[in-house]
Amino acid sequence: MSVPVMTVPGELRTGETTAAVRAAGLRKTYGTGETAVHALAGVDVTFAAGEFTAIMGPSGSGKSTLMHCLAGLDTATAGEVWLGDTPLTSLRDDQLTVLRRRRIGFVFQSFNLLPVLDARENIVLPLQLGGLRPDPAWFDAVIARLGLRERLGHRPHELSGGQQQRVAIARALLPRPDVVFADEPTGNLDSRSGAEVLGLLRSSVKETGQTVVMVTHDPSAAAYADRVVLLAGGRLAGDLADPTAESVLDALRGLGA
Amino acid sequence: MRSVVLAQLRTHAARLIASTLAVVIAVGFVVATLVLNETSRSTVLDTVGARYVHAAAVVTSEGGSLADDVADLEALSSVGVVAPAYEAGVSAEVPGRPGSQYLSVQSVADAPQLRWEQLSSGRLPREVGEVAVTDRARAEVGDVLTVSAYDADGEATTSQATVTGIVDLRGDPQAGLFARGFVTEAQARDWGAGFPAELRIAAGPGFGADEVLRDVTAAVPGDAVVRTGEAQAERAAAALMGNTTALASVLLVFGTIAVVVAGLVIANTFAVLLAQRTRELALLRCVGATPRQVRRSVLGEALATGLVASALGVAAGIGLAALISAVAGSNSAIPLSGVAVPLSAVGAGMLVGTVVTVLAALAPARAATRVAPLAALRPVDPAPLRSRPGVLRLVLGLLLAVPGTALMGGGAAMPDVRVALPGGVLSFLGIVLLAQRAVPPVVAAVGRLAGRLGGVPARLAAGNATRNPRRTAATATALLIGVTLTSAFVVGAASTRATATAGLAAEFPTDVVVEGFAGELPGSLENTLARTDGVARSAPVLAGTVAGPDGDLVGAFGVDRAEAAATLRSTEDLVLPGPGQVSVPEWLADPWAVRDGDRLTLGGDPDREVPARQFTVRVVDADNPLLLDATELRALAPDASLGQVWLRLADDDPARQLDVLDRITDVVAEASPDTQVTGLIAQRAEIDEILDVLLLVVTGLLGVAVVIALIGVGNTLALSVVERRQENGLLRALGLTRGQLRGLLAWEAMLVAGVASALGVVVGGSYGLIGAASVLGQVGDLVLDVPWLQVAAIVVVATVAGLLASVLPARRAARTAPVAAIAAA
Ligand SMILES: Nc1ncnc2c1ncn2[C@@H]1O[C@H](COP(=O)(O)OP(=O)(O)O)[C@@H](O)[C@H]1O
Ligand SMILES: [Mg+2]
Repeated sequence: MSVPVMTVPGELRTGETTAAVRAAGLRKTYGTGETAVHALAGVDVTFAAGEFTAIMGPSGSGKSTLMHCLAGLDTATAGEVWLGDTPLTSLRDDQLTVLRRRRIGFVFQSFNLLPVLDARENIVLPLQLGGLRPDPAWFDAVIARLGLRERLGHRPHELSGGQQQRVAIARALLPRPDVVFADEPTGNLDSRSGAEVLGLLRSSVKETGQTVVMVTHDPSAAAYADRVVLLAGGRLAGDLADPTAESVLDALRGLGA
Repeated sequence: MRSVVLAQLRTHAARLIASTLAVVIAVGFVVATLVLNETSRSTVLDTVGARYVHAAAVVTSEGGSLADDVADLEALSSVGVVAPAYEAGVSAEVPGRPGSQYLSVQSVADAPQLRWEQLSSGRLPREVGEVAVTDRARAEVGDVLTVSAYDADGEATTSQATVTGIVDLRGDPQAGLFARGFVTEAQARDWGAGFPAELRIAAGPGFGADEVLRDVTAAVPGDAVVRTGEAQAERAAAALMGNTTALASVLLVFGTIAVVVAGLVIANTFAVLLAQRTRELALLRCVGATPRQVRRSVLGEALATGLVASALGVAAGIGLAALISAVAGSNSAIPLSGVAVPLSAVGAGMLVGTVVTVLAALAPARAATRVAPLAALRPVDPAPLRSRPGVLRLVLGLLLAVPGTALMGGGAAMPDVRVALPGGVLSFLGIVLLAQRAVPPVVAAVGRLAGRLGGVPARLAAGNATRNPRRTAATATALLIGVTLTSAFVVGAASTRATATAGLAAEFPTDVVVEGFAGELPGSLENTLARTDGVARSAPVLAGTVAGPDGDLVGAFGVDRAEAAATLRSTEDLVLPGPGQVSVPEWLADPWAVRDGDRLTLGGDPDREVPARQFTVRVVDADNPLLLDATELRALAPDASLGQVWLRLADDDPARQLDVLDRITDVVAEASPDTQVTGLIAQRAEIDEILDVLLLVVTGLLGVAVVIALIGVGNTLALSVVERRQENGLLRALGLTRGQLRGLLAWEAMLVAGVASALGVVVGGSYGLIGAASVLGQVGDLVLDVPWLQVAAIVVVATVAGLLASVLPARRAARTAPVAAIAAA
């Protein structure tokens, strides 16, 4: 390791701030025997509350798998995940579903919105699924910040890619979740829209203390984060604080990507 | 392209299950109908025609005796033997059986080759004093029957005959009517058989039926008809088959409905399958497939599906027919034994199934050729599919529906079914076309309402149900057709029943009439009957004689108006006279030259010297005697006595009322043996029973169409689930529980099925009422009746069945892990 990276195990950082999400000994294996793929081969990581973390790594390094396990979308083969104080592996499907609805926000790379619902309906969907109504003041604040006021009545196919991602971010932020997970949120966008989306995620962390964990393979996207966690071959391969595009690129080169 | 077709079939076999099932059911239905019809025909031919098929020729005569021709014919070289048919009717006492029974006797041919009777035991008679009987006679071999034969003057001659054998008529539909006896020609003549009107002829050695036919025709008198045995058997069978052929055509109408509904389901399946494969098809186009080749590959897939499904359907139909034949057997109204499978039925089944499948796939195949090669390169378009409004369909629908409805309305008003029927067919076609337009907005409106009640899943379901209007419309239309026809029939039958009941009530207003053969009834009988369980009301009717204006004595009935009216179901035809009034039947009004409102003087018994009285006449259309007030009849005829008792039974189901009728008969038989009990109640029960059976059968048949349509609902949902895999995964990620996801699909199914069945019931109900009005209005006074409970049941059953149809797709959708759906993006 010739790169100047501080490789600090996630556990050690917990003392500084409260943990929003924590994983210990996380393993995920696809298939069995000879053909088994270890997408996650023992990951220990902690994401502090109020922080914007980027997960980076080469393609196939297990980024998406890690995010799915942290978010309760997928079950790990071994290990444990805590959302705040709640251990996720012991939860039944319905309990996990309700937890996702109330405490986790999602922004995906594509196919984020339901085509039959307009923007407003998409935004309030997770709350409504739980039979809740949005707090009007907070709703207005989120909409204003994301610049969606004029677009609320539009269906997804009437919105541009950037606008669709902004609607997805609004939906993720509205329930004030413990953590927002974003998987390549700028992957399908041109660079200007991408920068806009990243800026919005960044400002939601800054201004409202929202915890955000974002998967990306783009070093300049990772530069918006407070911290970068590097993955390689299903293991933690590095941890950068206050990253810049250059430091991230250097770190990645060190992984041989 | 063939390799592509085969690969498609292999990979998507599961998705074609619904189309296959729809074709199998529809084809199976058609084939079963044809096979049953043929089975019934051959059963009848085997049984009714049995006596003829082995004869070379059969001579029949309308009037004259053929007895004298026997010897002449037997002299012909081409003729072997001639068997004249002697028939007689006798009454026979079977030992150990009460009373005597009617025995229809026919002669057995002397020549073995003309004997057709099959024996289940014993042998045929050889001499006078012997008889073989059918098992209906309930006699056993060895029994000695006491037979009374009657001559033309009614003089009875009694003789004895020993039972030598039991004849088995197998599936002969006429077998059950009465017992039959088989005797020698001599015995038949002894028992009063007239001249033979039929000769069965066997060919001489070395001669064929043609020669026999030619020679015999030349030899018999001109008014006799000569046919080959085969032809005569066909003729006998045809005479009996008239009804079953009509039944077969009715069944085929329902078969056609099933086929049409199946066609809609298939078209739908293919449309959805191809929509899913847009990218695959575009890729084919990219790598150089021409539109023609794409279309051929789609049609090839349809052809293969159609052939396989039709073959399965044919097998299923034959199996079904065999099952029905085995269960119903020869005791049913339609004679069935074994199965006879005509090649035409197999051919028709294969053809109908395959052609319908290919035709149904034509439109989707054309749409598939319009896929641009570039579609393969574009990312998945999340925009909802929009279909063009189909102006042609709208115009054509209106052009059919509006005049059709007007014609139907006219037919109901006239009333003339010959006007209403074509109007109904036209407007129904129009409505089916318009349904494509009307269903989506209705589903959307109902969906908004459901969204208020059912929360987010219901609201999403409403959106989903209308995002592909054409598919929703096609799914709903299939169900709409089935439900419309079912409810039209249910409502029509209810009105028929109500009209028939009202008509019968008017014609026979009394439930039960107890009447003495000899005139008089014991005075206490009325009291006894009134106390009988199940009798609601009773009224005594006095019978006496009065003198008419011409001085002749005529019979007259006297009733107390209030008491008698309470027993009547209807006073439309039977008007009860009050004091000073008399109802005069037309057969008396004519010779007396009186009309409504005239004054009429009636005198009393001349021996008694009672004063005459004046009455106001009301002429009635009935064959009763004069009817007047009981007190006045007693004044004119002081020795008038109890002539009839009118009874009204408590309202109950027909079977229970028949029990009451039995009780009344017992009571009456004990009190006064020569008394008869008549009344409408038995007929009413019979009509009810016939209508019930008819309703059950037809509803069952239409149920087939509804079942196919529901398969379509399940199919559409299953395909939607595949299509919306990502979407459902996203919903699960965002916090939709498995239960909520199942609920979403259940709502979607219920919306489509509920709207289709509600619309179907409204349209069908109107058809039923209009149909009843135009048919029954011609016959008599119309009474319309809507069986609300049954109509509601149709909607509920169809909706719940739609719900059930969503269970499997919903389970599949709910099993998908959210991450799998997202990863597929
Ligand atoms: N459903 C699956 N079945 C088998 N292997 C899988 C599956 N999902 C992911 N993998 C494998 O796990 C590894 C990590 O995948 P992923 O987390 O998607 O990587 P990344 O998002 O970093 O590109 C890869 O080698 C991938 O092939
Ligand atoms: Mg990934």
